[in-house]
This record gives sequence, structure tokens and C-alpha cells, in this order.
Amino acid sequence: MRSASFLSFPRLFGVILLLLLAGYATLFAQEKAARPVISSYTLGVGSAHVADTYLTPLRYHGTAWRFDYRRLQAGPFAPERITSKADVSLSLEKTHNPAGNATMWDAMIGIDWGLMRRWRPLPSLALAVGGEIAVSGGAFYNTRNGNNPVSAKASATVGLTGLAVFDFRIGRLPARLIYQPSIPVAGAFFSPEYGQLYYEIYLGERKNLAHCAWWGNYFALDHLLALDLRFGARSLRLGYQGKIYSTHVNHILTRSFTHLFVIGFTTEWLAVNPRKHSSLRLINAF
Amino acid sequence: MLGLIALLLAGCSTDDTLLSDWPDTPRGNFEALWNIMDRRYCFFDRKDVDWDEIHRIYGARISDDMTREELFDICAQMLDELRDGHVNLVSGFNTSAYREWWSDYPENFSLRVIQEHYFNYNYRQTSGMLYGFLPQNVGYIYYSTFSQPVGEGNLDNILAWLATADGLIIDVRNNGGGELTNVETLVARFIDRPTLVGYISHKTGPGHSDFSKPFEIIYRPAPEGRQRWGKPIIVLANRSTFSAANNFVAVMKHLPQVRIAGATTGGGAGVPFSSELPCGWSVRMSSAPMLDALGQSTEEGVEPSAGCEASIPPGTTDCDPILDLAVSLLTGQSEKL
Repeated sequence: MRSASFLSFPRLFGVILLLLLAGYATLFAQEKAARPVISSYTLGVGSAHVADTYLTPLRYHGTAWRFDYRRLQAGPFAPERITSKADVSLSLEKTHNPAGNATMWDAMIGIDWGLMRRWRPLPSLALAVGGEIAVSGGAFYNTRNGNNPVSAKASATVGLTGLAVFDFRIGRLPARLIYQPSIPVAGAFFSPEYGQLYYEIYLGERKNLAHCAWWGNYFALDHLLALDLRFGARSLRLGYQGKIYSTHVNHILTRSFTHLFVIGFTTEWLAVNPRKHSSLRLINAF
Repeated sequence: MLGLIALLLAGCSTDDTLLSDWPDTPRGNFEALWNIMDRRYCFFDRKDVDWDEIHRIYGARISDDMTREELFDICAQMLDELRDGHVNLVSGFNTSAYREWWSDYPENFSLRVIQEHYFNYNYRQTSGMLYGFLPQNVGYIYYSTFSQPVGEGNLDNILAWLATADGLIIDVRNNGGGELTNVETLVARFIDRPTLVGYISHKTGPGHSDFSKPFEIIYRPAPEGRQRWGKPIIVLANRSTFSAANNFVAVMKHLPQVRIAGATTGGGAGVPFSSELPCGWSVRMSSAPMLDALGQSTEEGVEPSAGCEASIPPGTTDCDPILDLAVSLLTGQSEKL
């Protein structure tokens, strides 16, 4: 028997997806505007705390590295109110068991794209909230296990995303404080059964591998708090990036917590063909 | 936000997932081992083992002032109650193994006798296989471990070289197993159509009876252009034929042109999973049961084909009666085939 809360998530999934698709469908129906792109490239390093009971009942701790490309731009439609975002992340974690004699690697790639409605309640403050679609994939690899060395991860979700931007000055230097969280709400993710071998999947036993994701069995939060020190069109970015990833299905629990210090740079750019655009109306991402 | 996250994560009970914080003490490690086996091991019912009673007996022998070696010995004795060659506890100073599954039986094999008295040391070797012609125009392949990958090109060369033989002997005595994919690669040379070779299931939860419906394992023949073998085959096995090698014998036994000669294999029909204890010891246990093409478990071994039982009398140093029987079966000199 399915619970009422379970039923509400596919519906929510559909609503968010429809809103995103409807927005994209109107992309070319709107007036063209010059929309500068804010691109950021960051490298992060920090601590990782991992558990995957398909591989081991113990918690592993170690180091995490991560690269992110983030892109913000005024939306393809209603650019005065909408901000679009796109992120690509690559992460690698190397962790050890409590005794220090076993190693687990975790490599993941994530791609997401979303649209947000934004407001500017104060001249120096911008807020935005919206939805996103995201896909991710990767694997945990425990080097000491024989027939169960790998726990593969894959998901496709829709979720909530947000943005808060506060402009201020440090002395004469312009600075910007940014907070950007993302939380998947519903979707689908991969998991083998409790004791299923990947050899069985290779043989063709592929039933029950895809699971409906909701907050009862799949919870993730990816958030960035960054300070941009602005030097013209470029900024030095320093900050904190945290990620929580937790799944619980088929009696298998997976958890990954990372806390990273990030450093990188941000650029703001605009591609313009002067022969086509004699005058431009600039609309920023926020 | 943090409160919401804490509430969500706290709401995900971990009772069924085994994630735990056992302390790295003798008691903590013992409880970890017992619980891991309780939830992962697949043959409790088949072996008629009362695991709760085992906990009562061996748990009473655990004390917090015992040494690591003493703890290891008690844990190893507890695991031996399962009578399973796929169950091992691995530490930096010892690896436990239940050995009675082979030590209580005659060895029935000497590679040196075959190398010396049947080939006069004149044989070929490639891809972990020793092969050559016996004088009766019978091909012979000895495969010592399925851990050694079987190359498709190597198999082409071996079977092309032996193509003129009247029959083929595949000797997997003392083969302790390895990769199941190597079994498939080898068997694919001896079938000419997709063939049901067995079933596999897995645990769907921590309960002793939580198993998936057995899934059909279908092997496909080697692709066109690869060397195949359709003539009679005798597979030689002994008690030390175990795990993937046991599976190979179980698969071959049900092919129409194949007979199994020698002794009952050692079994090992549960594909093992790995786990670990807080002190860093690793543990391996049978977790996914495999069945033969008739749906029967071969955990206790695969018997030779009717009329193909043979053994090597103790003290025999210049001949291999099991190999001799196989040759006579293939050359029609024995009425047993």
C-alpha cells in the first residue's frame, strides 16, 4: 500500500517538469536581450565521510576533491524576472575505514539545469527560487572487496534551487556574497537489491533496479556559500561547499557528507555581434 | 534548514541496513561478525545451523581482556560451524578457512604424474592451460584456476591444435575456482545454441529466508569464426574442484556430449560477498546461491556421471587411474560410457 505522501511526489515531479518545459518552449518567442553570462570555475578540497552498506557496514573518513563549473544568466524568457543556471561538477573522494587498512574511492559527475524567479528586495540584495533538473552518476569502489567491490550510483531528479546575492564593499573593493543551494525533490535512482551481484545484472537480472526517489529514500543537499572579491569583470571566489547525499532502499544505506573549502574565479562575459546589434539592452543574471 | 535535514536523516532508520558503530573491542568485533553473517550468509537453512545458538555458545567465550589472536581463534571456530569453504576471516596474521571439505577426502590428483608419465614433459602451455595430445589421439587440457583469465585467442589456438583428436579431456582437479565469466568463456566453445546452464538468486533482505526468485543463466555459444568443439568430452574432477570450478563441472555435466569422471567435487555454490569488522579484519561469506540446470544446489558438490567414478589408490606414483578411465571412455575401450 502506498502512502499519501508518496503519491504527492510524482505529482510534484510533473508540475516542476512542466514548468521547466513550458519555460523552455517560450525561449524563442520572447524579445532578444543581451544577457551577460556569469561563469565560475572552482576547485574544492576538504573532508569526506562516507558509508555504503552494500560494501561495508563501517563508516569511512577521508579527503574529497571537487571541480565545479557554474553558469548564471538572465533567463531565455522574461529575463527581467527569470535567472537560468547550469552546473557541472566532478568529485572524487578517497576515504579509509576506522582501522586504516582499507580504502574506498567515490567518483561522481553531476549535471543540472534550472530556472529561478528572482526578486531584488534591496538594491544590494537579490533573491531567487526555482526548479531544476539534474542527472548524476558515479560509483563507490572498495578496494578490498572481492565480488562486491563497486556500488554504482545514478539518478535523474527534479528539485528546488535558490540563489541569494548580496553586494557590498570591503574598503574600496567591491565584493559579493553568494549562497546557492539545490535540493532534489523527486525522480528516479539506481540501486541493486540487498545482496544482488553486479554479475547478475550482467547476466540480465535487471528487475527492480530503478527506484522512485522521494525524501523518504533519497535526500541530497548541495550548497555553496562563497565570497567573490571583484576585480572588474573577474572575481576571486573563496568559500565553503557542502554536500549531503543519502539513499536508503532495499535495506542498503548510502551516505556521503563532504565539507570543502573552495577557491576559483568568476568571469562575466557577453557574446555580441555588433553587425546585428547596434544597441543593446543589458539584463544581468541578478 | 539544518533542523529539517537532521529530521529527515534521523527518520531513515538504519536498523535494517547494518550500518553501525560497533566498538573496536573483542565484544564489538564479535558482535559485528555475528551480525554480518546473520544478515548476509545464504546457507543457514540448507546447513541446518541455528545461528542464535551459535551466538550463545561462542559469545560466552568472549571477554574484553582477550588478545586479538584469542579473539580470532574463537571467531574462526564459530565460522567453521557453517562448514563452508567460502567463509574466511582475514587478519594481518592469519586467514581462517574451513578445510574439512577437502582434507577429509583423497587427493586423487598429481600434476607431476601427468607431466612426467603421460607427456614426458612435452606439452604446451598458454593462458593458464596446459595442453597436448595423449598417445590414443585424445586431447588433454589442464586448467588449474579460473582466476587465470581465458583468452579467446588462446582458446582458438588450443582447440585448433587439438582439432584432430577423437575426444577431449578437460582436467579441473585441484582447481579452486575464480571468475565465473571464465566459466562462460570456456563453456561457450562447447555449445551450439543458447543454453540454460543454471540459476542464481540473491538475498533481498537480512532475513535468513529473504531470497530472490532464481534467475535463469543462459550461456550463448562462441561467435562464428571462433573455434568450437562438438566431439565427446570428459571433465575430470576431484574434491578440490571448488567454487567456479564446481560451477563449471555442474554446467558441463548437463551438456549432451560431456561426462564427468573422478570424484565428487568440493561444492562452493554460493557466490561470496565481502565485508569487514571494526578492527580491520575482512570477512567473506557465501551470499548468492547458484543452482544447476535442473534447479538443484551443488553446494555439497557435483557427483561424477554414472559409471565414471574413479580414484587414485594411495601410493600410486606412476599412473593416473582417473585419466586412464577417461581415455578408455573416449576411445571406446571402456563399456562404462
